Amino acid sequence: MLQERLIINVLTAALETGADFAEIFAEDKISGRLEMVGGILESSLSGRDYGVGIRILKGNFSVYAFTNDSSESNLVAVARSAAAAIRGGGASSGVIDLRRAVIDNRHSVAIMPDSSQKKRAIELMRRAHSTAAAFDPSIAQTKIHATHQLQHVLIANTEGLLAEDKRVYTRLGISAVAEDGDQKQSGFSGPGAYAGHEFLEGLDIEEHARKASRIAVTMVKAGFAPSGRLPVVIDNGFGGVLFHEACGHGLESTSVAPGSSVFAGKLGERVASPLVTAVDDGTIANAWGSLNIDDEGARTQRNVLIENGILKGYLIDRMGSRRMGMPATGSGRRQSYKFAPASRMNNTFICNGTSTREEIIANTEYGIYAKSMGGGSVNTATSDFNFAVQEAYIIRNGKIAEPVKGATLIGKGIDCLSKIDMVGNNLEHGQGMCGSVSGSIPVNCGQPTIRVSEMTVGGRKGE
Amino acid sequence: MNIGEFQEALFAKGREAGFAEMEIYYANGRSVSVSVLKGEIDEYKNAQTGGLSFRGLIGGKMGYSSTERLDQESIDYLLEEARSNAEVLENEEPEELFAGSERYHSVNTYSPPLIGTVPDQLIEAALSMERIALDADPRIDMVRRSATSVSESEVLIVNTKGLNCHRQHSSASASIYVLAKESKDAKETVTGGWFDFSLRSFDDIDVEAVALTGVREAVSKLGANTVPSDNYPVILRNDAATSLLSSFASVFSAESVDKGFSRLKGKLGEQVAGGNISIIDDPLMENAPTSKAFDAEGSATARHELVKDGRLLTFLHNRKTARKAGAANTANAAKGGYKGMVEVSHHNLYIAPGTDSLDEIIRGTDRGILIVELQGLHAGTNATSGSFSLAAIGYLIEHGEIVRPVNQITVSGNFFELLNGIETVGDDPRFIGSCTSPTLKVSSLSVSGA
Repeated sequence: MLQERLIINVLTAALETGADFAEIFAEDKISGRLEMVGGILESSLSGRDYGVGIRILKGNFSVYAFTNDSSESNLVAVARSAAAAIRGGGASSGVIDLRRAVIDNRHSVAIMPDSSQKKRAIELMRRAHSTAAAFDPSIAQTKIHATHQLQHVLIANTEGLLAEDKRVYTRLGISAVAEDGDQKQSGFSGPGAYAGHEFLEGLDIEEHARKASRIAVTMVKAGFAPSGRLPVVIDNGFGGVLFHEACGHGLESTSVAPGSSVFAGKLGERVASPLVTAVDDGTIANAWGSLNIDDEGARTQRNVLIENGILKGYLIDRMGSRRMGMPATGSGRRQSYKFAPASRMNNTFICNGTSTREEIIANTEYGIYAKSMGGGSVNTATSDFNFAVQEAYIIRNGKIAEPVKGATLIGKGIDCLSKIDMVGNNLEHGQGMCGSVSGSIPVNCGQPTIRVSEMTVGGRKGE
Repeated sequence: MNIGEFQEALFAKGREAGFAEMEIYYANGRSVSVSVLKGEIDEYKNAQTGGLSFRGLIGGKMGYSSTERLDQESIDYLLEEARSNAEVLENEEPEELFAGSERYHSVNTYSPPLIGTVPDQLIEAALSMERIALDADPRIDMVRRSATSVSESEVLIVNTKGLNCHRQHSSASASIYVLAKESKDAKETVTGGWFDFSLRSFDDIDVEAVALTGVREAVSKLGANTVPSDNYPVILRNDAATSLLSSFASVFSAESVDKGFSRLKGKLGEQVAGGNISIIDDPLMENAPTSKAFDAEGSATARHELVKDGRLLTFLHNRKTARKAGAANTANAAKGGYKGMVEVSHHNLYIAPGTDSLDEIIRGTDRGILIVELQGLHAGTNATSGSFSLAAIGYLIEHGEIVRPVNQITVSGNFFELLNGIETVGDDPRFIGSCTSPTLKVSSLSVSGA
């Protein structure tokens, strides 16, 4: 994407005022999005993003600059103006010796996504629409989108790293809206992978369409969830967003290094129930949150975060590594060249336990069964988290009973992890987009079915 | 290539390729931002970004494409992608580009002195905010972020029917986010922050006030606890009310209405809110950061009352939705950046203020909860149904006074019911984004806690 000569000139300019590290992140990204509303293809968009980010570090001070103009003269000028913010110190000496890294590609892509698959993708989307619309007479509207992205990155730094990688993403999103009188509810299913068009071809589209419609139809007829503190059974798959919010963000060095996370200084301590082992793994083949190399050019790896309830590790990027004096974990990620990298999750999940889903439900006298989760958020300093349940049911006398809508779950990270008292044996992963300081990035959230003995459920009292 | 040369080359080649009408939407921006941590510069960011969206009429359909790279190669890419995107579209409504409005109002959104702010001033201000916050109260455990920025941007729309619209925008901001603890060994941490901006000059921002307000926002939450689950009268302070309104603003879009995603469908002319509620979209307002003289299709913008005394008067329209609905275009065409299609959105939407101050509203509340922060809005609200269930932070009010902070609660309800149950509208709108509400007091919302 960029000539080695140019890279060296830009990095050299970046070091002119005494920085101890400089990095270039160049990105050329093609993306496409098809959207079908009510079975009619209403929009088809495609575009090319192209730009270069330059990061300069001196100790714990970081300068970041980015531009769309990748001419050598402009990049050198941008590097110089960014370097001017490094105050004090003379020019760094040394010759930059770029060594091209060999990247082992763990993710096979059979059909590269591009405009030529548009018509076929539209056929598949129409199947999703037909299935979702036919599910129940109360389905009043559907919205289906298919997206693809091909991101080509080049990362080079003054330590001599020169790495390039191509990341390929494909995702389908199915929304269904059910109407019942004045009531409207929607359901969603959004499978995605680090893969090409073959992912759509191999997908059980009907199952995902039925899931979106089932959620909408069930919820439009449901009463409101009860309020108060209750046992909550969270089903497998995207239920892992609980761990993502309650704990994952709090383990990122961005908040651990300055000491603004409740998990700071707790390595080796018990932070969860002994039933909980949690991992962030960026290496899983073709998983939505996987990468060969992170956005700082480091190989991704499998990071054990919590083992049998004991805190074992954090998610650390280059800056976090400097601040914490601990090795980076291949966790530096960013949405695009417009963001400096930060420590982020890849595919985060709670490992399998020994219970079956049936046992967990049978063991619960009264509580909430959160079958399908929406998204959530967390304040890492206080560890207050919240997330929305898309599809929920009451558990009564060990059996799944009536559906309830509007259930939001809130709590505090360590408190909630300590109250996990049953862990299932049916680990699955769900796909989501995670928003934070370095932008919105694809992540997997996974878990087996789990039970939290007590959580605050925000429903509506007296309705 | 500069943008003028690029546009001419693109239109020339597009004509050869068979495009009947063509338009570019070009946006670019520059910003400098600084954040400090523990007396040192933590991050210094210098951003220059630009991109271009193309749309063109070919075979009777409007095809779109975009690029961030303005070179010869991109011209071929844009034309080919727009053609192949147009080809697969199935919506039958005819589209055409717009030659422009007769007159445009002038809105003052660009300040050369602001853009001349030197980086050293931004650095000094961020450092001084951090110092002020740490000195203000011994319970401030850490200043997590003290940041300042200046930015400018421009938008240019040019098409083959003669439209040529250009605008520039600039703003400066200062923000702080702090962590507070009762004592060094205390387990519970609370957080709070504040933000202010200026469209004229960085000097207009009172950074001391920003720091001290941020401190007050945090320490006033120390000792927070939950409340028993019940229905409570709830005061949504202007910032919380604003975030709730933002989450549901799309219900006023004619596009949402047309596609069945808004419960306001079929309710034009009807009472959809209490008689004390008026909702206005005014893109011509001075000193609002999202004011603009033309929309994403180049139509001249104007003030519109969407809801007057509770009655729904109009939806927000662009040219296409207006034609389809047989309604007047309200010039609310919008693009989600230069990558998106022309859609519909508000410019500067607000609930008209009432006359009561926040203090008066608190004094008039015998028992209730004042909410200052709502969390998880992206997941806990459903614009289609109007329902919301959100984690919240605030204060318990008894006998007209704040008695203690409250956390670990959720507040649930329905936006459409809420609009009908507002007892009091505050006098305190704070225009910091494209959507604004004054403080609102509702007679009853469901609160989950202990």
